[in-house]
Amino acid sequence: MAYFLWRLYKNFEGEILAIPGKTVAFFGILFLFCLYFIPIHPYVLRILTFSAIFAIYAASWDLLYFAGQLNLGHGAFFGVAGYVAAILDLQLHLPSGVAIILGAIGSVICGLILGIPALRMRGPYLAILTLAFPVILTGVVFALPDITGGELGLSGISSLSESDLSVYYICLVVMLLSVLIMLKLADTRSSIVRTGIVFKAMAEDEIAARTSGINTPRYKLLAFAVSAFFAGISGGLYVYVIKVAGPSTFHPLFSIHPVIWTIFGGAASIYGPVAGVFILYPFWGGLFAATPELRMIIFNALIIIIILFMPEGISHWFRDRTERMCPRCKLINSRRRSSCRACSAAL
Amino acid sequence: MDILISGIQLGAIYAILSIGFSLILGSARIIFLTYAVFYMLVGYFWYIVNTLFGMNLILSASLAVVMTVALGIGTYKLCVERIRQHETTVILITLVLAFFFEECVLLGFGSQLRNVPAFIPGYVELLGVKVLNQYSLTLAVSLVLIFLIWLFLWKTKLGIAIRATSQDREVVNLMGINEKRMSMIAVGVGIALAGIAGVMVAPIYLLEPTMWTEPFIMVLAIVILGGLGSIKGSIIGAYILGYAQVALVYLVPMGSFIRSSVALAAMIVVLLIRPEGMFGVLFEEERL
Amino acid sequence: MVRKSIIVGLIVGLFVLLAAAPKPVAQPIKIAALGPMKVTPGENQWRAAELAAEEINEAGGVMVGGVKRSVRIIKTDTSEEVSATDAVAAIEKVITVDKVDFLVGTHRTESTLAMQDVAMKYRKILIVTGAASPIVCERVGTDYGKYKYTFRTWINSAFMGRAMFASLEDLSRLVKRELGIEKLKLAVFSEKLVWADPVVKAAETLAPKMGMEVVGVWRPSAAATDVTPELRAIQTSGAHIIYTATSGTMGVVMCKQWGELKVPAVMTGGHSHACVKGFWKATGGYGNYVPTFTGIGPAKITPKTLPFWNKFVKRFDEFPGYESSTYDAVYLLKEAIEKAGSLDSDAIVAELEKIDYVGAYYPRITFFPKGDKYAHDLRFGPGYATGVTNQWLDGDVKVVWPYGWEGITYEGSKPYTFPPWFLKHWKK
Repeated sequence: MAYFLWRLYKNFEGEILAIPGKTVAFFGILFLFCLYFIPIHPYVLRILTFSAIFAIYAASWDLLYFAGQLNLGHGAFFGVAGYVAAILDLQLHLPSGVAIILGAIGSVICGLILGIPALRMRGPYLAILTLAFPVILTGVVFALPDITGGELGLSGISSLSESDLSVYYICLVVMLLSVLIMLKLADTRSSIVRTGIVFKAMAEDEIAARTSGINTPRYKLLAFAVSAFFAGISGGLYVYVIKVAGPSTFHPLFSIHPVIWTIFGGAASIYGPVAGVFILYPFWGGLFAATPELRMIIFNALIIIIILFMPEGISHWFRDRTERMCPRCKLINSRRRSSCRACSAAL
Repeated sequence: MDILISGIQLGAIYAILSIGFSLILGSARIIFLTYAVFYMLVGYFWYIVNTLFGMNLILSASLAVVMTVALGIGTYKLCVERIRQHETTVILITLVLAFFFEECVLLGFGSQLRNVPAFIPGYVELLGVKVLNQYSLTLAVSLVLIFLIWLFLWKTKLGIAIRATSQDREVVNLMGINEKRMSMIAVGVGIALAGIAGVMVAPIYLLEPTMWTEPFIMVLAIVILGGLGSIKGSIIGAYILGYAQVALVYLVPMGSFIRSSVALAAMIVVLLIRPEGMFGVLFEEERL
Repeated sequence: MVRKSIIVGLIVGLFVLLAAAPKPVAQPIKIAALGPMKVTPGENQWRAAELAAEEINEAGGVMVGGVKRSVRIIKTDTSEEVSATDAVAAIEKVITVDKVDFLVGTHRTESTLAMQDVAMKYRKILIVTGAASPIVCERVGTDYGKYKYTFRTWINSAFMGRAMFASLEDLSRLVKRELGIEKLKLAVFSEKLVWADPVVKAAETLAPKMGMEVVGVWRPSAAATDVTPELRAIQTSGAHIIYTATSGTMGVVMCKQWGELKVPAVMTGGHSHACVKGFWKATGGYGNYVPTFTGIGPAKITPKTLPFWNKFVKRFDEFPGYESSTYDAVYLLKEAIEKAGSLDSDAIVAELEKIDYVGAYYPRITFFPKGDKYAHDLRFGPGYATGVTNQWLDGDVKVVWPYGWEGITYEGSKPYTFPPWFLKHWKK
C-alpha cells in the first residue's frame, strides 16, 4: 500500500510538478474542489459556477477551431440544447441529467445541419455562414412562440440540486470530465484516439490531408458533432442554473464570447479556453460589481489590446516563458532546468 | 404599386451600403465587419454636430461623414492593418470593435432614440402612394453615387488601380502599385459610402445604437449573393434582397419580422450552390 | 531602512482603517431599485423611488418597532435588455453584497422571472413595477410558500388588455359620432413579441362584436427601423382606427412615420416608448396626437398624483412612466413595515396582503388575496387601479381615458383630439 502511494507521488512529481503549467492547472483545480471547506460568498460561487459552464462552452468551440473550422455562431448549439432541455423538463418532467443529454443530442443534430453546408466552404465564407446560424434560429424562436416562449423564453425550470454548492460541484465535475474527453480527442500523440491528429492535419492543410486518405468530410462532421455535443452539455447546465431558457443565447455577442475566451487563453489547445474563462469571467464579474456602467467598454478594450499584443493567448505565452522542449527526446521540461529530466541532454 | 416604390427605396439604401462593403471586401480582401457600425456612427456624429453646434444640415452632414471616415481609417490602421494576414483574427477584432463602438455610443447617448431633421421634410403623393421626400432624395443620391463610383473605378487611374488589386494582390505589387495604400483608400471610400448611407437614412429612421445590426446582416447577405468583389453584383443583389424584404412585408404581414432570417437563408442557399455569388471573382487560394 | 518604513506604514494604515470603520448607527432600510439603467424606463424606476425615499426621510423616516430609520435606495442596473445572466448577477450581488432589505422594479419579463427566483430564494420581498406578464404572479398561486414575497404594482397584461380595449371602444364611439358612420375598419399593429400575442388575439375576436371590421394585422419586428410599407398598406386598407401595442423602439418609428405620412387613421392602444418625454424629440414633433396607455397622467387620479407628477417633471425633466410606480411601492413598504413593526419578510407579506392604500398612481392599491387567480397582483377596476391613456398634444400629454368609462373621469382629463388630416380625409 505504501509502495503504491509512493509510486503515485513519484508520478505526480514527475508529470505535474516538473512542468509549471501543469502545476498551476493542478493546484487550480484542487482549489476549485476545495471550496466546500472555505466560507465563500454566494456571488463568487455563482461566478465560479458560470465559469465552469462557460469553460465547457469555450473548450467545445476550441475543439472545432482545432479542427480548422471557425465557428462564429457557437451560441446556436448552446441555446438549442438549453431550449430542448427546458422543454423536456417542463413538459415531460424528465430528470435533469437525461434532459441535458437529450438537449446535447439536439445540439448535435444542429451541428450536423450546420456542418453539411460547411463542408463546402472555407475561411471567411464559413465564418459568415456560421454567423448567420444563430440569427436564423432567433427567427425560428420568434416564429414559434407557443413552443419556445418567444422573447420571454421558457421559465420555471427545476433545479439541478438543492444547494448552490452542490450545483457548483456538479458543474465542476462535468466540466472536468468534458475537458478531459476533449483533451483526449485533441491529443495528437495518442495512438488509440486518432481524431486529434486527423483534426490537426485537416486544420493545417486540408488538401494534403485528403490526399493522405483521410475522409475529411466525415471528420469535419465529427468535429461539428462533438463540438456541438459539449456546447450542448454546457447549454443544458446553464438553463438549469439560471432556470430560464431564452433567446439571449442566440445573440451574436454570446457566440463571440467563446472566441474571445479562447483566443485570450490560447487557441487550439483545450486547456487554453479553460484558463481563459477562469481568468476572464471572474474578472468580468468583478468589474460588474465594481463599475457596472463601464464594464463593457473596459472589457472590450482589453480584448482588443490582448489580441493585438498577445495574439497567441495567455496559456501559450505562459508556456513559452516557462517550458522548453528537449532537443533530443522532445520531452517538455521546465525552463529552469539546465538539462532534460529524461535524457540528460543540455537544454 | 406600393411594392414597386418601396422596393426601389430600400434597394437604393442597401445598394449604397453594399457597394461600400463590397469595395473593401473585394479590393482589400478584408472582412471589415466593423463597417456597418460606421453607418450608425455617422448618424450620431451628425446629431452632435447639428445639435451642439447648430450647423446647417448639409454642412454638418458632410462633416459627420468626414469624421466617420477619419475614424474608420484610424481604426483600420491601428487595429486591422497589422494583422491582415490572419483572417480569423481580423474577423474577430473587427466584430469586437463593432460592439465596442456600440457600447461607447450607448454610454454616451443612452439607448433613447434620437432624431435628426430631414433635408426635405414632408412627402409627395406619387401615383397614389405617399412617398417621403427624404426617400426620393436618397434614391437620387444613390443613383448619383453609383454613377460616381463607376466613373471612379473605371475611368480614373486610382480606380483602375483599386480594381487591379481586387483581381490579384501580388501581381499588383509587381506592377508598381502600392497595394497597401490602395487597400487603405478602398477602406476609406467604403466607409464614406457607409457614412453617406447613414446620413441619408438617419432622418427617416431614428438614431439608435443598435440600428446597424439589421443592415449589417442584409449587407453580408447581399454582398455574398452578388458575389465578392463585384460592384455590379452588389447593386443587383441589393435590389433583389430589398424587393424580397418588401414583398414579404406586403404579402405576409404577419411574417414581416422574419425578414432578416429570410435574407440569411437566401444567402446560405447561394453559398451552397455557388459560393462566388452571381458575379463574384474568387481568388485562387479560396477555391475548394 | 526601507523595510522598517513599510512596517510603520502598515501599522499606521491599520489604525487609519480602524478609525474609519463604520460605527454602529441606526442602519438605513435599503431598497434596491432594479431596472435597465441605461434606458429611461429603468432610470425612471430609480428616480421615482428616490423621490419617495427623500420625502419619507424628510418627514422623519420609517418607524420600525420604536426606532426611526431612514430609507436608502440602491440603484441597480440589471441590463435586462441585454442579457438575463447579467440581471441575475445584478440581483444576486445587490442582495448578498449590498445586503438590501427589499427590492422594487424590474422591467422585462424574461429577466424578471429569473430575478424573481433569486429574490425568492433569499426570501426578500420583490415588488414588480415593470413586467406585465401574468406568469409573475401566477407563480404565487402555484407555490405560495416560495413565491409569496412577490407583489406587483403595475396592471398585468390581462387587465391591461381590458383597459386598452375599453379605451378602443370609447374611441370607436367617438369616431362613429364624428364621422357619422356605423361600421368602422380596424387595423391591428403590434410588434412580433409574445406579450402582444394575447392583445392581438383579443382584438381580432372582440372587434367584430363592437361593430368593427379587422382589415389586417401587421406585426413587424420590435427593432424594425422602417415601417412605411406597413403604414402604407394600412392606409390602402381604409382603416379608421389603428390599435397598437408596441414596447420597443419600433413604436417610436411608427409614430414618427405615421405623422410624417399623415396616415388618415387614429391610433389607440399602447406604445411603451411614448410614455416618456424623449418621445417628442425623437419623433421630431411628428408624434403629435399619439395616445398611449400608461399608469399615470397629469390629472387628479388621486390627491397625490399632481404633486408627484409636477415634482417629477420639474426635477428630472421627464414624465414618470408606468414603471415608476416604484414611488407607490416604496410608500407601500413603509406602510407595511410600520404596521408590522419590523422588517421581517413574512410579517410584511401579511401586511401587504391586507393593505388598502391611496397611491399617486392608483386611487386604491390593494392586492388580490392568496388563493385568487391573480394573487398578489394589483386589483384592477373602477375605483381601484385603472391606468390612463395619455395623448400627446403639442409637446405635452393629456389624459384622454377614462373619460366617462364606468362613470370615471379624472379631473384634468380632456376628450380625445382628432388629428386635422384625419378629419379632412374622411369628411371630404
